[in-house]
Amino acid sequence: MITVNNIHKNYGSKSVLSEVSVQFPKGQVTSLIGPNGAGKSTLLMLIARLLEPSQGEILLGEQSIAGMRTSDYARQVATLRQSPDFNLRLTVEELVAFGRFPYSRGALTPDDHRAINDAIAFLSLEPLRRTYIDELSGGQRQMAFLAMTVAQQTQVLLLDEPLNNLDMKHAVQIMRALRRLCDEQGRTVILVVHDINFAANYSDHIVAMKDGRLAFSGPVAEVVTEPRLQALYELDFDIVRNARGCLCNYFNPSGELA
Amino acid sequence: MMRLPTRPAIWPPLLILLALAATFVFWSSGFDFDYVIPKRLARLAAIVTGGVCVAFSSILFQTIAGNRILTPAVMGYEAVYLLLQALLILAMGTQALVVVSQINNFFLSIAFMLAYSWAIHRWLLRDRKNNVYFLLLLGLVLSMVIGTFTQFVQLRISPGEFSILQGYSYTSFNRAQPMQLLYSGLLVAAACVWAWKTLPVLDVLSLGRDQATSLGVSYRRYVQFYLSLIALLVAVSTSLLGPTAFMGIFVANITYALAGSVRHRITLPLGCAIAIAIFLLAQLLVEHVFNYKTTVSILVNLVCGAYFLALMVRKQGRA
Repeated sequence: MITVNNIHKNYGSKSVLSEVSVQFPKGQVTSLIGPNGAGKSTLLMLIARLLEPSQGEILLGEQSIAGMRTSDYARQVATLRQSPDFNLRLTVEELVAFGRFPYSRGALTPDDHRAINDAIAFLSLEPLRRTYIDELSGGQRQMAFLAMTVAQQTQVLLLDEPLNNLDMKHAVQIMRALRRLCDEQGRTVILVVHDINFAANYSDHIVAMKDGRLAFSGPVAEVVTEPRLQALYELDFDIVRNARGCLCNYFNPSGELA
Repeated sequence: MMRLPTRPAIWPPLLILLALAATFVFWSSGFDFDYVIPKRLARLAAIVTGGVCVAFSSILFQTIAGNRILTPAVMGYEAVYLLLQALLILAMGTQALVVVSQINNFFLSIAFMLAYSWAIHRWLLRDRKNNVYFLLLLGLVLSMVIGTFTQFVQLRISPGEFSILQGYSYTSFNRAQPMQLLYSGLLVAAACVWAWKTLPVLDVLSLGRDQATSLGVSYRRYVQFYLSLIALLVAVSTSLLGPTAFMGIFVANITYALAGSVRHRITLPLGCAIAIAIFLLAQLLVEHVFNYKTTVSILVNLVCGAYFLALMVRKQGRA
């Protein structure tokens, strides 16, 4: 369980997060949703310790994350930001091996090799194992970076817009993989996602942000409702539920946009 | 697409390097072991030390900056070196060469450059800012400002003194004295061993600040550590050979192209081999073909520049 206690984050005099207090349940997939500039990524980066809060604290279990050593934290929480766009001349296998750095600091043990193989198999990257990542498509590359994060074998995974720039098939593949990480391995997954339909269909829990504040949070079934989404996105929503899940339709809102 | 084996072949580059070194030492030496060959061995030592400095400093620097077209030269170290030399000559005239012995000048230069690097890091990291780009921009601006100061000082000195000063602004392997070489060698060896011990960290740093932090690397601490190493290496190479300017960019990029990998286990040694080979070739040409009518800096820039351009054009064609 990750507990965020009264977090504020300011850049100079500009406040990007204020009075955010929320809990992320253990062993579930939680989606952070909200309009652009709502502070979703900032909150995720604070949990990842890539930013420091101006005020407030974040607890991992019972422990405040601020005092933990970087190397210890890397064995409990793994973060994946959007994959870098510069050309790294590394094979998929070499990239995934970086996920073992928190444990072996570079000298791979048999355990590390097992974890690397497991992560590659988990994401079905076996055929691409020796391919250089600068030769992969955007979707494959994202899978390779995800495999690195999986190989880190942490209880918590944080992902910042993992579906960015992916086609539908790759987006479904990534979301399914995250779902399986949670269901089969009991990991806690927290991701920032823009597509409300992926959030509604693949996560257990939703944390919605707006204007740097918490809008609402709760289990998907309770919070994915027309009035709540309408207030959050200022769009007219029509939620259709059937056997394959739910579809939040906002494509043709009635009336003028604010 | 060409696939390179994971274990790189270390013999071809090593053999080429040995052949070049042997040519350099023995070509039309008349096997004069009393004068010619010891002199050439000293130059060879300067070349090897300088080459290692240039390769290590520029590859480390590019990894930290996450940028392939930068070199530590833009941080202003060389400008500080030239300013120091200009000030010494302004203060004491040609007497400077006598009053400040070469070995003292060497240590003075290193101290000066390290102090400069320490000061800009201190000043920048004071308010918890740790932005490499800001550091770069500051270095670039400072190197221009310091360069202008140097020019101003140059206007105050006599033409004779100016020609001495000008000698300092070219890369040269003849300047180094045996003691100076010994100290440089020791310093560089220590720096390299230190960098080599943290090779896996370097590889992780090439993934960028966020990913490296998420993999448990204390980014701030290591960036400071590597920046100090780079300052030391640049200080040694500049006071040993003079400014090498953009050589670092060429060496690093040729290395990446040939290595087919960004693992520092491969790029650092290969980079050293390439830097040493380029210096050796340039010096061979200067000594035997051009009869000292041109300088190493000009040749290095010409050869590296041409090769670098060719590399870029070929890559463009393939992509």
